[in-house]
Amino acid sequence: MRVSMKWLREYIGINLGAEELAEVLTKGGIEVEGVEYLNKGFKDVYIGEVKEITSHPQADNLQICTVDTGSQEVTLVSGATNMLLGDRVPVAVPGTILPGGKVIEPAEFRGVLSQGMLCSDKELEIEGVGLDRSRGGILILNSDAPVGTRLEDYLGLDDWVLELELYPNRPDCLAMVNVAREVGTLLGIRPKVSKWAQGETPTWPQAQQKVEIDNPDLSLRYAALLVDNVKIMPSPLWMQNKLRAAGVRPINNIVDITNYCMLEMGQPLHAFDRDKLTGTVRVRLAKENEQIVTLDGMERKLDPDTLVITDDNGPVAIAGVMGGLDSEVTETTQRILFESAHFLGSSVRRTSRRLGLRSEASNRFEKGVNPHWAVSTLGRVAELLVELRAGEPVSFTEKVNNLPEAITIDVYLPKVNYILGTDYTEQEVRKVFDNLDFSYKEKSLGVLAVEIPSYRQDLKIEEDLIEEIARVIGYDRIPTTLAHGSQTQGRRTPEQAFRIKLRRSLIGAGMNEVLSYSFVKKEIDEIWGSKGGGIALLNPLREELGTMRTSLLPGLLEIAARNTSRRNTDLLLFEIGNVYLPKELPLRELPEEISKIAGIAQGGSKRHWHIPQVKHDFFYVKGILTEIAKESGVELEYRRTSNKKYDELLHPGRSAEIFLNDEYLGFIGEIYPQLDAELGLQRPIIFELDFALMFKHSSLEIIAKSYPRFPAIQRDLAVVVPEEIPAEGIKKRVYELGGDLLKEVEIFDVYQGESIPAGHKSLALTMRYQSGERTLKDEEVNTFNSNILAGIQQEFKAEWRK
Amino acid sequence: MREEIPKIKEETLSELQKVSSIEELQELKVRVMGKKGSLTSLLKQMGSLKPEERPQMGQIINDVRNDLEEAWEEKKIILEKEALNRRLDQERIDISLPGTPFPRGHQHPLSKVIEEIEDIFLGMGFMIAEGPEIETDYYNFEALNLPKDHPARDMQDTFFITEDILLRTQTSPVQVRTMEKIAPQLPVKIIAPGKVFRNDDDATHSPMFHQVEGLLVDKGVRMSDLKGLLLYFSRQMFGESREIRLRPSFFPFTEPSAEVDVSCMLCGGNGCRICKYTGWIEILGSGMVHPRVLEMGGYNPKEVTGFAFGIGVERIAMLKYGIEDMRLLFDNDLRFLEQF
Repeated sequence: MRVSMKWLREYIGINLGAEELAEVLTKGGIEVEGVEYLNKGFKDVYIGEVKEITSHPQADNLQICTVDTGSQEVTLVSGATNMLLGDRVPVAVPGTILPGGKVIEPAEFRGVLSQGMLCSDKELEIEGVGLDRSRGGILILNSDAPVGTRLEDYLGLDDWVLELELYPNRPDCLAMVNVAREVGTLLGIRPKVSKWAQGETPTWPQAQQKVEIDNPDLSLRYAALLVDNVKIMPSPLWMQNKLRAAGVRPINNIVDITNYCMLEMGQPLHAFDRDKLTGTVRVRLAKENEQIVTLDGMERKLDPDTLVITDDNGPVAIAGVMGGLDSEVTETTQRILFESAHFLGSSVRRTSRRLGLRSEASNRFEKGVNPHWAVSTLGRVAELLVELRAGEPVSFTEKVNNLPEAITIDVYLPKVNYILGTDYTEQEVRKVFDNLDFSYKEKSLGVLAVEIPSYRQDLKIEEDLIEEIARVIGYDRIPTTLAHGSQTQGRRTPEQAFRIKLRRSLIGAGMNEVLSYSFVKKEIDEIWGSKGGGIALLNPLREELGTMRTSLLPGLLEIAARNTSRRNTDLLLFEIGNVYLPKELPLRELPEEISKIAGIAQGGSKRHWHIPQVKHDFFYVKGILTEIAKESGVELEYRRTSNKKYDELLHPGRSAEIFLNDEYLGFIGEIYPQLDAELGLQRPIIFELDFALMFKHSSLEIIAKSYPRFPAIQRDLAVVVPEEIPAEGIKKRVYELGGDLLKEVEIFDVYQGESIPAGHKSLALTMRYQSGERTLKDEEVNTFNSNILAGIQQEFKAEWRK
Repeated sequence: MREEIPKIKEETLSELQKVSSIEELQELKVRVMGKKGSLTSLLKQMGSLKPEERPQMGQIINDVRNDLEEAWEEKKIILEKEALNRRLDQERIDISLPGTPFPRGHQHPLSKVIEEIEDIFLGMGFMIAEGPEIETDYYNFEALNLPKDHPARDMQDTFFITEDILLRTQTSPVQVRTMEKIAPQLPVKIIAPGKVFRNDDDATHSPMFHQVEGLLVDKGVRMSDLKGLLLYFSRQMFGESREIRLRPSFFPFTEPSAEVDVSCMLCGGNGCRICKYTGWIEILGSGMVHPRVLEMGGYNPKEVTGFAFGIGVERIAMLKYGIEDMRLLFDNDLRFLEQF
């Protein structure tokens, strides 16, 4: 809502400047989004009359005009060609300042001295002013513009406008009179508003015109004022200027009166050319296949959910949204039917959404129009029609259903202080209601019965009035206290604690946390997540963000690709987040939200003068996973992938499914050759694990074991085995063969190449033997080692590499 | 023989001067005092002396021997010191070269801020509650006093999945879910961090962002308690000298409602670009839980009251880390992430 300070001051005498008033309103709960001065910076531009136009003798594209500015005649050279003799035009003379700070000086154009310039609306930064032929040239003002007057005064541009950002609970402030009331409440001044804004209703003779409401649940009221002897002409300048300040373009006296009254009273109005209506005016839902051409010239298909106004021939307006072109007021209109009605906000809202059509009227209906003022507003319309000599109000008719009754709310003073934590006195509270201009009486001790005026539909319960009290006195008066309720101890749940621990472990292992959108492109999600399993949004922001992810990988891959394209090629990234798995599609109940951990690694450690680069390869990532598994108290098992799903996604030789206590936890692998390049990546390793499963098996308890006092004996053993035998299998077997005293087996070297037969590999193992009771002897350890060697020689065709 | 002794001593001492390493020193010692050393051989010749001369001669040789030993020891210390100094010199490194990098990752700024907010409220006795990101219309709107077609629904552009299932536009549904779970026990004292979604995308809006909801329901909870709690939170988050101010606002599920501003952490309230020269920065919305919402959560609004608040995590992160464009938070460029 744009509020002109000049207009506001017609109701209420305020000494504050616009900025100060904005501060008062904002602190009072009416947020002022912006404050604007209408004159964008020009000074001393006067209205002149074109007395003479001649072509420039030396330049075809220039004209020489003699213009009377009231005090003198000046010669001006212009490149524009749209002005005619007698036109009223804005003149900038030497010394005039234009928006942006440019100062006008006399200038010579091909031998002719121009004593200033003629201005266009663009140069003056004003809109919606002047005759139609002003477009693209000099601004041509109405022919009655007084010569010699300052343009600023003529257009009323010496005005400030407050832009109110209204919350949905204050639609009353979409009316100037109620803004004045609000300002009055906050400043403690009583505004002067018309009798119409106090709910007075006029009386006129009953019209012959019939009005019916077929859907009383959607329309509480339909009032029509009939006007004869209409004379269509421009509205007076004062009205045009006020409309422009409010952001409404002046059209003609009739349309301007409907807009002016809407801005003043908040009641949307519509003017029909009555001679184009036939029979009964009816409010009803549209029928299947009905249509209407609206004022903007668009043909609109209607459906049975759309409330329309009809005459005997069909729809003539979409209720509360826009009128029809056929019954539009034109230059030749002689009789008018002014509609002042009430339509249900939710119905208007649905219709305006569906049609993609929003107007000042629909905006007000959606937010809530005061049904009690429908006829009062017509009183104001009639008053202005007479004042402007635009027409003669002759008769009136109305259909009205049950209007909401005025309500009274009891306010219990101790409760006010109990809820707010304040110590307001009864007098202070009474003063608030006085400022609000609400009537009240003491019902019983400490209880005030407050009458709510019809324009404050937002006030329904005691708490609403408590807020009124708090905001009018000022939220600054609410003290700062500490809750004296029950004492509690805050603690993370084990699952929350585990998530934090896991995140810390991954960060500690060098991985960077990323955060990606929960919605992704359907086709990509199907590749990495569940095929056909993603939940689609009805109204996605973009098609690429249309499906709720079933895997974290699409997001991670995109982030990795973006980084790679920016030459951040060495990556270690992870994300912890939910994926969304429907139980059935289309969705009938909420889907499962499963927390996942996924990561991507690429490149290697940064090159360094002191240490060799460590590649972020399969084993690097496996190492990280091993570390977090250890910290989580779980052991992971890696099995070669057998799942078809990974075909051509993961390198078959460099990927694994990961199991935890025989349950599928997730996978790890290098992206399939060439697919990486297609994705804009460089041989990355990816993984995705199920967080919930990890948590289910985790044990964060630490039970410390003491260490043996007796020294350990360490032995190394190198064997050559066929290369397809997994190292882990040999390691496990060695552990079994080594007996109780073998405490640890590690693989410390894997070698293929010179001196090793083709198709074989050499594994070097180190074994640590230890007893808790005695110092071991070399001989017994040698025996264990021989057993191991014999065992694996037999089992794996291993050969001892001496 | 008597003449040879001083000669040996002198020669030895002068050779000792020239010795430049422990090895040479050892060699010299062997040459003089070893089994076949010059001084040792003199001792061996003692037998050819007259018995009365022997003690005297023995004494002289011993004295020389002691003198030489002493000189050797001195020299040895010097040489060892020299050797050590040489070694120290050789082992000198360019301390200006960079240290060996220790691979350490970084937490995303948003998860960092959420964790920080959690820790502040955990310290004040709040529990952390969670709720689904895909929600029903009932929990996201209706149970929060926002019936269908309520104009306030326009404040939030909603992503829909079906007519009744949507992406939650706020963390507030967790309020109702938690009350339903806990009622009629008291107090309800939770914060609920999480992702929320709105159909909006520009420099100041992201279609997915994060909120931390807060809810305290108990007997005798006052709006002044809300103010006290939020003042404490703001000081923990932004520094001890911060002040807060409440402005009337509107949320369908609170009454009275308040927008909360914190005094600008950059200019201290004097006015700067960040606070748009007002000295105040809006950080969260809050209010007293609407009686209808308490009812729907299973509490009697005549017996208990409560307050609720919703913190915008992105906003806090941007203020805290001086991030000017919200899109950086979801771009995930490594150069950005590595600063946290």
